[in-house]
Amino acid sequence: MDLNVASWLSWVRPRALRRRGVLGLNERNAGFVLPGNPRAHYPRVDDKLLTKRLCEDHGIPVPQTYAVIERVGDIRGFQELVRTRLDFVIKPAKGAEGRGIVVVLEHNHTTYTTAGNVPLTLADLRYHLETTLSGLFSLGGQPDRAIIERRLVRHPIFERVAVNGTPDIRVLLYRAVPVMAMVRLPTRASRGRANLHQGAVAAGLHLGTGGTFGGVCHDRAASVHPDTGASIAGLEVPGWRELLLAAVKLADVLEMDYLGVDFVLDAELGPVVLEANARPGLAIQIANRRGLLPRLRFVEAAARGPLPLARRLELAAALAEMD
Amino acid sequence: MNSRRVAVWVAAGLVFLGLICMGLRYRIYRVSRLASGDMLWRITYKAKFQAVRAGAKVRLSIPADTAHARVFRQDVLHSGLSAERLRSSRLFARELSLAAGRRGPHALTARFDVHISPEARWPARDAETPATPEARAAFLHATATIPVNDPVVQEALTRLRQDLAPNTNLVERIFRFCAREIQSGDDGAPHDVASALRGKRASPLGRAQTMVALCRAANVPARIVAGFHLGAAQEMPLSFWTEVLAGDRWTPYDPADGFAGALPHNVLPVRRGGVEIVRGSDLAELEISCSIVALPPGPGALRAGHGQPWAMFDLTRLPLEMHETLSVILLLPLGALVTAVFRTVVGIRTFGTFTPTLLALSFVYANWLTGLLTFAVVLTLGLLSRSLLDRLKLLMVPRLSVVLTLVVAWITFTVSVLDYFDLTPSAQAVILPMVILTMTIERFFLTSEEDSPAFALQLLAGTVVVGACCFAVLRWASVGRLVFTYPEVHFFTIAVLVLLGRYSGYRLTELWRFRELAGPRP
Repeated sequence: MDLNVASWLSWVRPRALRRRGVLGLNERNAGFVLPGNPRAHYPRVDDKLLTKRLCEDHGIPVPQTYAVIERVGDIRGFQELVRTRLDFVIKPAKGAEGRGIVVVLEHNHTTYTTAGNVPLTLADLRYHLETTLSGLFSLGGQPDRAIIERRLVRHPIFERVAVNGTPDIRVLLYRAVPVMAMVRLPTRASRGRANLHQGAVAAGLHLGTGGTFGGVCHDRAASVHPDTGASIAGLEVPGWRELLLAAVKLADVLEMDYLGVDFVLDAELGPVVLEANARPGLAIQIANRRGLLPRLRFVEAAARGPLPLARRLELAAALAEMD
Repeated sequence: MNSRRVAVWVAAGLVFLGLICMGLRYRIYRVSRLASGDMLWRITYKAKFQAVRAGAKVRLSIPADTAHARVFRQDVLHSGLSAERLRSSRLFARELSLAAGRRGPHALTARFDVHISPEARWPARDAETPATPEARAAFLHATATIPVNDPVVQEALTRLRQDLAPNTNLVERIFRFCAREIQSGDDGAPHDVASALRGKRASPLGRAQTMVALCRAANVPARIVAGFHLGAAQEMPLSFWTEVLAGDRWTPYDPADGFAGALPHNVLPVRRGGVEIVRGSDLAELEISCSIVALPPGPGALRAGHGQPWAMFDLTRLPLEMHETLSVILLLPLGALVTAVFRTVVGIRTFGTFTPTLLALSFVYANWLTGLLTFAVVLTLGLLSRSLLDRLKLLMVPRLSVVLTLVVAWITFTVSVLDYFDLTPSAQAVILPMVILTMTIERFFLTSEEDSPAFALQLLAGTVVVGACCFAVLRWASVGRLVFTYPEVHFFTIAVLVLLGRYSGYRLTELWRFRELAGPRP
């Protein structure tokens, strides 16, 4: 973290943030999450298996599920479950912040090589599955299930701007209208994960075109990837319209007013939904260098009732030109 | 009406309600404070002694609550002593027992503020009577100061029996004898029973003891009582009288002042069955002084008359033993308020929502410096053991239980080490909340593995900062007393929390986090 004194002294006045329409955590919770996201619908996003099933039912692309491990007894059969798969991902169904995800790139049925080129034995993976089931990675420590699913392959467009991991694209929706989007690029510092507070780079995305503009790293503006030096501006996300359509459809299905949807751009499948989040973070504002409030207010005024899908994408494009 | 406005109205309503309750209570307190004839007294004991060995015990008799008197505040100041809990025995009286941590000189000051009323304001808590013949026998046997079997006593009793008029009670006769036929002498007069009977002259203590001895010789259970006569400010104001078991009631007789059957309302028993109000074992050079002063009129013990149902709302009427615990419990919401302010207004993140508050609570009764030391040591050792444990690849619940066991072991061991090096000033070791500590260790370990050690340290620092602020609030004795006297203060607490719950402004940390956004548009 940046610890020089000058940066610590560079606090800003609330009025300056207010003028730029920056949304704070308190206002997000009190003004949007609490009134807009009914508690009863939370399991739909907190349980990734449920999210996936809802997606599959509504034709929204998700990574193919190979197997679900529900009980400790099932772990014994793990080796058989993945025998025919060249590569796969193990994921806790209720994991938070990307915890407990293991990406296996290749294996010879006894040694499993993960994304960080770490060889794991079968016993290691079994232990990982046991801890997953016991709820170590789940929200609130509840017993969990482990999902074994298809590994998504990084789209070539991100070849030079993602290190040790797969970038993910976050679309923030309000009342099922996309209001802001960003792409998070893993770095060496973030250890291949796409979490901003761990040092991943984020770049704002133009809602109309899916093009990236300047990014942010460790809360500071950045225009190049810190590890590769490649420019992170001017990339164009392919299949942007399908991606937005999928996000909008998912928001309808989940019935959440304030929602973040995370996508991965697969080399073969295009945009695939990874998960949804009922309390999406606010760093998206830093990545876009814009406050969310004006856009949220605009949508509030425009989308009072249900709107057709096309109209919502038009609104999103209009938001992109707003400021 | 939108929910924000509703919240404001609710908060305003709560403040209004709080003000009304406080106003009502204040009025009731003021009215009862002015009750004529009520007096407030402060009794102070000062004791100095040499402890012959570490672990020497001092026992302090505490003024008893009666229908006319109630101790409403007590402070015990001491050095190098560890307080054991206040014990209440209805058979004798309340007693505070302390142990010396080391050999050598010690000093002790105990202050009791007593509310005395000519009316029986409080429920009369009669001294308990012995239920079994064995218990009765304890009040019949001879002691060094009560020589029941001394021929002089037996002879005096025989004479009293002989000239006992018909239809008169032997106890009444004994009382008349001690009150009238033994001359009163000042403190220079003999205290002991035999001299009193031979010379017909005795000190007040001597007369009271004579009465006890004669009653016991007549097979009537009796005991000596030491107490205070709260009349005028005075030095060494101890009085002595006798209590005789009549039927199933202890009846007081004061031969020195001539009261029989009932004592004036301003007489306060302190110790029953003995005369020293401060005593102990393994003590040398015990010096005791007592003083009584009248306090200026102010809030006394019981503001609401007992018996009315609304007295239930007056916590100050509860026995003194409960005051300290209840004050701390009542401060806990303020600790939660501090936590809420840090979360929503400042934006400091901690391990667990109420972890800082609970840690602070465990520090309240103990010395914070040794508490902090224990905390640091237990946390470090706990983290070390947790990372060693990681290699065993245990499942979560058994693993957490191992950490909990280790935490318990580390805490007890640290307490023992601190005591060995004499670093526990009041011997009140910090008993940290073990489950909370276990979860903190687990979270710290996971956070430093999954995020970064720097982030884990940041969370720990946040926890300590918020905990320190909670501690400052929980330790605030005068606020504790205020909340204890006026518990409806928490209407305001809830009001503030309701408003905080609808606070949608920026958190202080966000002013730094979003600083890039405040500049000119890109």
